[in-house]
Amino acid sequence: MADSYWVEPDVKFVKQLKTLGGETLKKCYQCATCSVVCPISPDEKPFPRKEMIAAQWGLKDKLVGNMDVWLCHHCNDCSTYCPRGARPGDVLNAVRAYSIQQYAWPRWLGRIVPDARFWWLLLAIPVAIFLFILGLTGHLHIPEGEIEFAEFFPTLIVDIIFVPLATFWIPLVFGIGIYRFMTDIHKNAVAEGKTKRKDLNIPDFLKSVACTIPTILGHNKFSDCTENKDRYLAHILVLFSFLGLFVVTNIFFVALYILQEPGPYPIFDPIGITTPIKLLALVSGIALLIGSLLMLSNRLKDRGENIGKGSYFDWSLILVVLGLAVTGLLSWFTRLLHLSPIAYWIYFVHLVFVFCLFAYLPFSKLAHMVYRTLAMAYSRYAEREPCE
Amino acid sequence: MTEEQRAEDKKGSILVVGGGISGLTATLEAAEVGYEVILVEQNPYLGGRVAQLKHYFPKLCPPTCGLEINFRRIKDNPWITFYTMAEVENISGGPGNYDVTIKINPRYVNEKCTCCDDCAKACIAKIPNEFNFEMNSTKGAYLPHEMAFPMRYIISPKIIGTEDAKRCVEACKYDAIDLEMQPQTVNLKVGAIIWATGWKPYDASKIDNLGFEYRNVITNMMMERLAAPNGPTNGRVSRPSDNMSVSRIAFVQCAGSRDENHLPYCSYICCMASLKQATYVREQYPEAKIYIFYIDVRAPGQRYEKFYKKIKEDKNIFLIKGKVAEVQEDPSSRDITVVAENAVTGEKIQETVDMAVLATGMVPNTADTKLPGGVKCDPDGFVISDLAAGGMFATGCAAKPLDVTSSNQHATGVALKAIQTLVSS
Repeated sequence: MADSYWVEPDVKFVKQLKTLGGETLKKCYQCATCSVVCPISPDEKPFPRKEMIAAQWGLKDKLVGNMDVWLCHHCNDCSTYCPRGARPGDVLNAVRAYSIQQYAWPRWLGRIVPDARFWWLLLAIPVAIFLFILGLTGHLHIPEGEIEFAEFFPTLIVDIIFVPLATFWIPLVFGIGIYRFMTDIHKNAVAEGKTKRKDLNIPDFLKSVACTIPTILGHNKFSDCTENKDRYLAHILVLFSFLGLFVVTNIFFVALYILQEPGPYPIFDPIGITTPIKLLALVSGIALLIGSLLMLSNRLKDRGENIGKGSYFDWSLILVVLGLAVTGLLSWFTRLLHLSPIAYWIYFVHLVFVFCLFAYLPFSKLAHMVYRTLAMAYSRYAEREPCE
Repeated sequence: MTEEQRAEDKKGSILVVGGGISGLTATLEAAEVGYEVILVEQNPYLGGRVAQLKHYFPKLCPPTCGLEINFRRIKDNPWITFYTMAEVENISGGPGNYDVTIKINPRYVNEKCTCCDDCAKACIAKIPNEFNFEMNSTKGAYLPHEMAFPMRYIISPKIIGTEDAKRCVEACKYDAIDLEMQPQTVNLKVGAIIWATGWKPYDASKIDNLGFEYRNVITNMMMERLAAPNGPTNGRVSRPSDNMSVSRIAFVQCAGSRDENHLPYCSYICCMASLKQATYVREQYPEAKIYIFYIDVRAPGQRYEKFYKKIKEDKNIFLIKGKVAEVQEDPSSRDITVVAENAVTGEKIQETVDMAVLATGMVPNTADTKLPGGVKCDPDGFVISDLAAGGMFATGCAAKPLDVTSSNQHATGVALKAIQTLVSS
């Protein structure tokens, strides 16, 4: 660190952090308790004490593009021991929310996704698109007879919407975000002496990514937390249920387009392979429901005294995931119970949630799955922590 | 200097509750201008917390140098009555006209005691020495401390009714022990009341990350007793676990202070106390390394600042900006490791030391004991003085965390407020 530098406080940035759940940041008096009680902070240049003073002074450059902000897993051990109620864990959470907006492209979408005033717009976009396409293809009516979602919302239309979202939109937006993010965190790490590696070598970095994956899947960082241990179960359920559902979706995608076997697939199929896949879908759906309900109850417990009150940015993701789980399971059950037209309506809402999850992923809190993974991998690349 | 003449406008007397440095000062200041003062002290001796210190800061002289002259002044002054082992039970009335009930607990030793120590020698039972924060024990018959005033032994209620108590009576050549002594009640009429009820150290065991459960982690007040010549080690600073000498020691500032989970306020004295205690260690161990971990060093005023600067010049004293937030013990060596982030360099420090001193803060004694007479306290337990109503005033650490000098100034001012109540009523 240079002996002196020109401090340019960004007051607007400080105010934004406060609206994103960091309203306590000004209470910090730099005692550094947080950096010591944090179970996952490294010994050299530990966080979050230095992040707290940067937040107070509005030093955006020291926070956005700082990998340490992402190494934090929001255990809130620091907030429990904080003598001033400055809640460093919540402040770092706010910095992450802000960073996601900064790295998002296009910026305007990055601004409206976390803005509570526009929730209706974000829902209205998929509703309008769906209604328009259904109208255009003459599907704007509830089909007669046995419930078959493809009769109402043809699989091809679903895929015309979602396949580009998944294979083009998300990679494009994240590609831009990742490029900016990696450039920044490397620059920051070199400038602040967190690494001796001056270059950013892609193959080496990918090796670090590979060695980070087991830590993420095992939720090792979560289990290091003392406070809020409940988050471990909630998060691991949600993550693995998403993985399960991802696998199921891909298998049925192959079944439909390559094996030419359209759904709905029977649950009990003694000779086929659909039974285990259906079971995986059911288990994943239930795990997603339980996981998101646990997240909700953890947040509501003690009015967020421990886990942090959270902002709209945090709440909206939990609600979307919960909505996804509830409508997913309900559309299945209502179909099996022959509850037309309710089943179709629920399915429609389910697709709206899926759209929200996919289309807004790089702008929502869910983007943490990319940025935190990269930061954790970079931290290993930078030799800030060892590969486990 | 004492004129044994009552003030002409005297209309009543003043009750001072608490015989520590603030209570003594308030008592003497009012009595020496001719007002009758009744001083009530809960302990069997006067002098309060100051009596437990090794040195005052910043002059580094022993507490007896201030206390002795005060005791001398009390003895000489005809307007002072004092009771030890006494507490205020009830108060009624208002400014200028209070009815007070005082309960005096039995000491079981009368004024014939010569402090010959024969009763203690005869007594077998040992009891924890509270004056030394239970770091050692005394006999069931004991002198509270070597410089105790009044200089008189006490029989602990814990041995009353045992064979030990009888042995004490038999051993006493002066007929000074009276096991039949009963609690006494004294009714008083006073015009004003001064609360000088003082403080106690914050309970360090409530701070779950600073390792007070380890033998070699002590509080700053325990350090005073360790260093004091009349303390459990006769003034030798040593590790509690093995009495070994000290080559590395850490001071943990703001242990439970300025912390909304413990005491939200700054106790004012702890920084100066640790800087002072560094001199105790330095005096005994010229080569010892002393680590003081702090949030900010608060050495208020010119004299304290000067003291701080002098300490900073010592090459073996390391002042580190960063609060200790984790303490570990090596189970075999009993060494202590304190962990902090140096906020200047941004590195996490793990310093292994022979022992650590927690600079715990002050809790007003009124935090968990309600005072009679409708006395109001703030949320932290400090007594609030209603200056407009008059009559009752808090001083010293009953009012706010203070050092000795400020307590004396405060007590002098409050003595005048009490006199004003008498005069105006």
